Amino acid sequence: MLGREEWLPLARKLDWDYSYVREEEVFPEVISGRPWLPHSEWKDWEESFKTSYREYVDNQYEKDMAVQAVHDAVGRIENVQKLALPWLNSLKVHAAALPLAEFTGVIGNLRGARFGRDSAWRTMATFGALDEYRHTQIPLLLFHPLLRLDSQFDWAHKFYHTNNWFAIAARHFFDELTVGQNAIEFHIATNVVLETGFTNLQFVGLASLARESSDHMFERMVTSIQTDEARHAQIGHPVLATVMKHDPAYAQYLVDKWFWRNWRIFSILTGLSIDYLTAPDQRPYSFKEFMEEWIIDQFLRTLDEFGLDKPWYWDLFMDELDIYHHMIYASAYSYRATLWFNFVVPGPAERKWLRQKYPKYWDDMDAVWEQISERWRTVGPGAENEFAVHGTALPTFCDLCQLPLSAGTPRKNTARVLVHDGRKYIFCSEPCQWIFLREPERYANHKDVVKRVLSGEAPAQLPNLLTEYFNLTPETWGKDVHHGDYEWLRARKDSAA
Amino acid sequence: MPVPLYGFLQGDTVGLLILAEEGETLQALAQKLQDAASLRVAGRDQVRIVYNDKTMDLTMTVAQAGLQALDRFDVVSG
Repeated sequence: MLGREEWLPLARKLDWDYSYVREEEVFPEVISGRPWLPHSEWKDWEESFKTSYREYVDNQYEKDMAVQAVHDAVGRIENVQKLALPWLNSLKVHAAALPLAEFTGVIGNLRGARFGRDSAWRTMATFGALDEYRHTQIPLLLFHPLLRLDSQFDWAHKFYHTNNWFAIAARHFFDELTVGQNAIEFHIATNVVLETGFTNLQFVGLASLARESSDHMFERMVTSIQTDEARHAQIGHPVLATVMKHDPAYAQYLVDKWFWRNWRIFSILTGLSIDYLTAPDQRPYSFKEFMEEWIIDQFLRTLDEFGLDKPWYWDLFMDELDIYHHMIYASAYSYRATLWFNFVVPGPAERKWLRQKYPKYWDDMDAVWEQISERWRTVGPGAENEFAVHGTALPTFCDLCQLPLSAGTPRKNTARVLVHDGRKYIFCSEPCQWIFLREPERYANHKDVVKRVLSGEAPAQLPNLLTEYFNLTPETWGKDVHHGDYEWLRARKDSAA
Repeated sequence: MPVPLYGFLQGDTVGLLILAEEGETLQALAQKLQDAASLRVAGRDQVRIVYNDKTMDLTMTVAQAGLQALDRFDVVSG
């Protein structure tokens, strides 16, 4: 019987020359990706894990047992009930956004498992697909039963099946990243940009916040997922190296495009959780500090390693670190009923912390929170007053990222209108417009929420939009966690009286 | 027929969809946007409307100013 070291290299590197079909027909460019190169250019593709299927199953079994043990010990509803309310709502964000996004990763990896250009790549992508299936099942298993505690956890299954505005944005992102993507772009965008970069926000940053918030179940879940990511993320680097060798301008484009697209989604997913939905005394760092330490340094090292330049919009991106997710949070708070989780108004102590961490633009953001607080003070606290402290006009959305037109600063919003082929589009920022113009055929026919309303596809009245189009109900739509009943606001009212 | 416009109020965190009437003045349009954003931005008496990088005469109507569907206009401090 052959030993492991004798059969595994043969099994992993099992490529052959085709005699009945051409290589271009087995691996069409449209689905394998470009540049199209003969296998001789891919034959040295390699990664360091070199896992066998048996080893994979044994490892995953151990990890699943560890997650199950923590779930049994601290993952019951009574444990979750003890968590701070803002953090519980951060969980709802991730319960909805994570599982089915991971499932799209199954599809992307399966594309690599069939259309990747070397057999070792295809083998690793098969494990990647199994990983992503695990990352779908674990959060569904852990989060959806919390429906008994809070009906907003229903969105763990429901989110991606709705036309909620954030679901539209997330689908637009993940459908392009994974479901509708060729193997080369998928592995560069997902493995190199997302998994060795941005998922650190989730799997390292949020894990440490979960620990500070005493949410050991979430901490265990994300760290367990991270061990899989670290392995299958290895697929992308040798893919990028080969594309860089043959078409460096295209490699640069893919990295620039996907860094920006990831930034837009993750600044919301993680930025809001770190800077707003975690108690101030449980925040070991700000979102910006975490980005600087865990994302930017690592991303710049990766660029250096491959001989790539910083994205052309780098200065703009660095400026956005100070403001973008704050603009989004204040906007989302004032349209909270359009979402499936609850929000808090940052009180004086939190705003002081935010000012220290984000001095550049905080004066302008502080004025917004002052105005919102004043509205609560005027109408008084109570669930019945939620809509008196809520936006009424329809917010607007970017035709590329599908997120609210909240880029720039309160003094100068950077939205820009473009006429293309006789149609008008609006983009939140220059990079979103740039991505659109590089591949207009990919994006031009997608309608944002405003265009859907104007075409009659979605209701124009907010209550109808919430219930008929965003699939929310009075029970599940977002509210202020305290319905405006804040001790600091009461103290201010008393002193005013 | 209302004209859907992207309105951006200085001081605000998000652009809003404003349905303008062709015959309404830019002064009224500015007020409409201020009202729609009042949850986040305190009202101001002195404001200007900027369209295509030009400050507009507030007594003009939406039609006279040439505002077309899905154009951007800004309301800024005066």
